[in-house]
Formats: sequence, C-alpha cells, structure tokens
Amino acid sequence: MLAAEGLMVFYENMLALNNIAVRCGANQIVGVFGANSAGKSTLMYALSGIILDLKEKERMRGGEQITVLGKITYDGREIGTLKPHLRARLGIVLCPERRRLFPESSVIENLKIGAFMASRRQARETLDYVLEIFPPLKKLLRRPAGFLSGGEQQMAAIGRALMAQPRLLLLDEPLLGLSPAYQQVVMEAVKLIRETKKISIIVTEQYARPVIPIVDYAYIMENGSGVMSGTGRELLDNPDVKAAYFGV
Amino acid sequence: MEIIIYGIVNSFKLILIAFGFTLVYGTSRLPNFAHGAIFVFTGFVAWIMMHKLNLPFLPAAVLALASAALVGVVIYQFILKRIRGMSMNEIIATYAIGVALIETFRWLGFKGTTFTLPVLREGVVFIADVPVDYQRLLVVAIGIVMLAAVWAFTKFTRTGLALRGIAQDERAAMMLGIDADMTGTLAMALGSALSGLAALMLFPLGSIVVEAGYNTLVFALAVCIVGGIGSWGGTIMAAFVLGFLQVITVTYLATHFQMVVTLAAIIATLIIRPSGFFGKHKELEERV
Repeated sequence: MLAAEGLMVFYENMLALNNIAVRCGANQIVGVFGANSAGKSTLMYALSGIILDLKEKERMRGGEQITVLGKITYDGREIGTLKPHLRARLGIVLCPERRRLFPESSVIENLKIGAFMASRRQARETLDYVLEIFPPLKKLLRRPAGFLSGGEQQMAAIGRALMAQPRLLLLDEPLLGLSPAYQQVVMEAVKLIRETKKISIIVTEQYARPVIPIVDYAYIMENGSGVMSGTGRELLDNPDVKAAYFGV
Repeated sequence: MEIIIYGIVNSFKLILIAFGFTLVYGTSRLPNFAHGAIFVFTGFVAWIMMHKLNLPFLPAAVLALASAALVGVVIYQFILKRIRGMSMNEIIATYAIGVALIETFRWLGFKGTTFTLPVLREGVVFIADVPVDYQRLLVVAIGIVMLAAVWAFTKFTRTGLALRGIAQDERAAMMLGIDADMTGTLAMALGSALSGLAALMLFPLGSIVVEAGYNTLVFALAVCIVGGIGSWGGTIMAAFVLGFLQVITVTYLATHFQMVVTLAAIIATLIIRPSGFFGKHKELEERV
C-alpha cells in the first residue's frame, strides 16, 4: 500500500533520516521503534508530507535548510512531492506526537473539524464508531480539549484522525505519557480499528513492549538509520533487540 | 443617558470596523493592514456604482461587497501567499497595498466631502428622550446580526470549523486535509467583505473621505490590541471600552481628542498587558 525508499532528510547538515525504507501492506499494522531523536517523528512528517510544509516555512523565514530526498509510493502512485492536505485527501492521516488537539475547541468540535473531508453520512457513522471504541469520550464531548488528561486527549486525537476517513493511519507515539491502563485502551483500539475498519496503520513508539504484540512487521531506528526489521516474533527473539528495546 | 446610547452605537461602529480585522488575524494569523483601505474602497465602489452606473443602493452595495471580497482574495493570492509566516513582511506588504489603494482614489480626484452614500431610511426615533436616527439603529442591528452570523458560521459549517481548526494549530489541521491557502483566501475574502459592510453602514453617517482609510485602520488596531489580538470576545469587550471612552471624550473634551484617546489606549495596553486585556492565549499555554 505504502512503500518508501531511500528516504533522506537533512536539517542543514544534520542527517535526520538516513536512507530509510519502510513498507506497509494493506490492512497491516507496522511498528517503528527507536529512542528519542532516532528520527521517528521526522519519518512520520516525511510520510505525511508535513516535512514539505516545515521546509517551505523555514525557507521563507530564511531559517534552516531542510532537504528531503527519496521516493514514496502510495497505491502505486508517487506522492513524494504532494502537499500534506492532498495526501490526507488520499487517505494518509497523521495523528501527531503530543496529539495536538485544538485546545480551545470542545472534543466534539475537534471531531467535527476532523470530519472536514468526510461526507455528512461518513461523519455521522464515524462519530458513532469513535464513541463505540472510546466510550469514555461520550461524557467529555462538551469539554475543551485543552483540559483533558493525556489519555483522554489521545483517545480524542485518534478519534479526530479517524473522522478524516483514513486508509493509512500514522500514529506518532500514541502511548507517550499515558498510564499503563490507558496504554492498554489505546492498543486495544488500534487492533480493533484495523480489524473493523480495514485501515492500515503505522505506529511509532519508544518502547516496543506494549506495541509489539499487535504489529505484523516492525522497524528499529537508531540515529536516523534503520538498523533492523522483522516480524514481531523475529524481533522478540533477537537478544540484542530484547536488551535494547524491551527493557528486559 | 445620551452617553449610554451613543456609547452603545459607537461601540457597535467599532465592532463593525474591527471584526473583519480580528477575524482574519484570528483564523489565519494574517495582519491585514489594508483593512482601512478596503473600507474606503468599498465606499467609493458603491458610490461609483450608484452615480456612474445609476444602480439603486442595494445592488450597488452587494456589488461593492463582492469587489471588497475580491480585493481580499487578490491580496492573498498574489502577495500574502508568497510571504506567509513572516509577520513583519505581511504587515509592510498589506500596509503598502492599502496606502496605494487609498492614494489612488485621492489621485483620481476622490477628495473633499462631496461623496456620500444614502441612509436606508430617513428619520429619527427617541429613546429615553435622546434622538437616534434610523441609520445608527441599523448599525447596532447589523452589528448584532453580523456577530451572530459569524458565530454560527464558525460553529456549524464545515468551512467555518476548518477556519477554527487552522486558527488553533495550522499543521494539525493540514494533517486532516485542510488547505491553509484555501482558508487564508477565504479569511481574507470574509474579512475584507466585513470591512466593506462596515463602510456601507458607516459612510452614510458622514461622507466618504480617503482619510477614513487611515483612521479606520487605527481604530481597528486599537480595538484588537486592547482586546487581545485575534480574540473575539476580547474584540467585543474592547470595542465597548473604547466606544464609551471615545463618546465620553467627545462629550467632555473635544472631537479631535478621540484619536489621542484611542492611541493612548494602545500604548497603555502595550505597557500594562502586551497580550491584550482579554487575550487568553498566555494563560492557556501556562496551564498546559
């Protein structure tokens, strides 16, 4: 469904992504693991096209020069130069790190803004679906999103991304700062979304442990480079990986 | 009593003048310093439509509003789009366009006080023994209708919600498929049309003069700065504070002190609370 090859991103002279290749098949869940600053978010920005906006803004400001190289194909189509909102229209929706909800809008308004591209019917159906997989949101609909707890925000953020009718959902560190209980909720939901909605999902995380049971395939990144990849099982059985990413 | 009634009318004048500016800034972070020029532009376009093309007031008004919106779109598409995100450049560019527009009218011979727009209905009513003409009542009514319409638009329509989204977090909105250039264009069109609406409401109270372009911009800025730039509630509150302040100044001092008081309010606000008296952004950021 999505294949990226030879992705390179430079911030001035700093290499943030070094020749990364990532694939995600239809209806797959793919994990990307790595420590802070390994380049996970940059990868997500590159896949969603946000990097092009960053680049443009920096260029106009006369700030950092950002260079993006490589090829991204989606459904057999080259999308590397497509602007982020057009990629979103093709179904690539990013649920960003730290969630970035619209803080002054209520939860329901966040969801409605998420439904910008959806038809009226899709919006209604997806809203029901979101409340079904995240029942706690029902009571929070009128609350400004800025006042929610981290776990509540994450549910709202995933809900908002779903409202945009994704076919490929990019989740950037969805477990960041969540309690183990909420981590469980979010991971269950991700699994459910793949099963019921037939959406492909790429999820990044620092700690692989809570995510690895649900991924079909995973990549491990270090300092901007891909160091290893394999199915969940393969990575679990690798002693080096175990020591470094599962905290065993 | 007079102060209260004329204070309210004057406050709504300021709301009409400032709301377009605050809408554009609040939704797209674009400081439209051509706001005052578009105000004058709309007045003259309406006048030309009426007196050169012999159209009645209403069609002329509609066409004038449409051309105001068009000016907004053109400014965005040809200039702001290319310098987006650099606020100093945005200010200089839009201000330059504004000056060019205003001075073009002056150069074309549109000066003096011979250019007037008609009031919709002649006549005066007495509210608690204070005479108020219909046009001033209309200013209040249109002000209320405009506030309600803009509120409903941003609350219930898809595009309106997109504007709210992009105002709060541009990049997050992009991830959901919202196009920043589309919303920027739309905001400029809407803001310019609102400036035009203010012109059509307020010029019948006097005559169309090019200087109004500069005064309008200063008033709009004053309201926005005192209220906290981009904050809608703040804009309305500040319009009332300044609106009454101006009327009190005119009553007890003299008309020409109006501008002094307005500018003093800007300076005082910038010294005491630079984010504006009702700007809530700071607080929210601190809490999160």
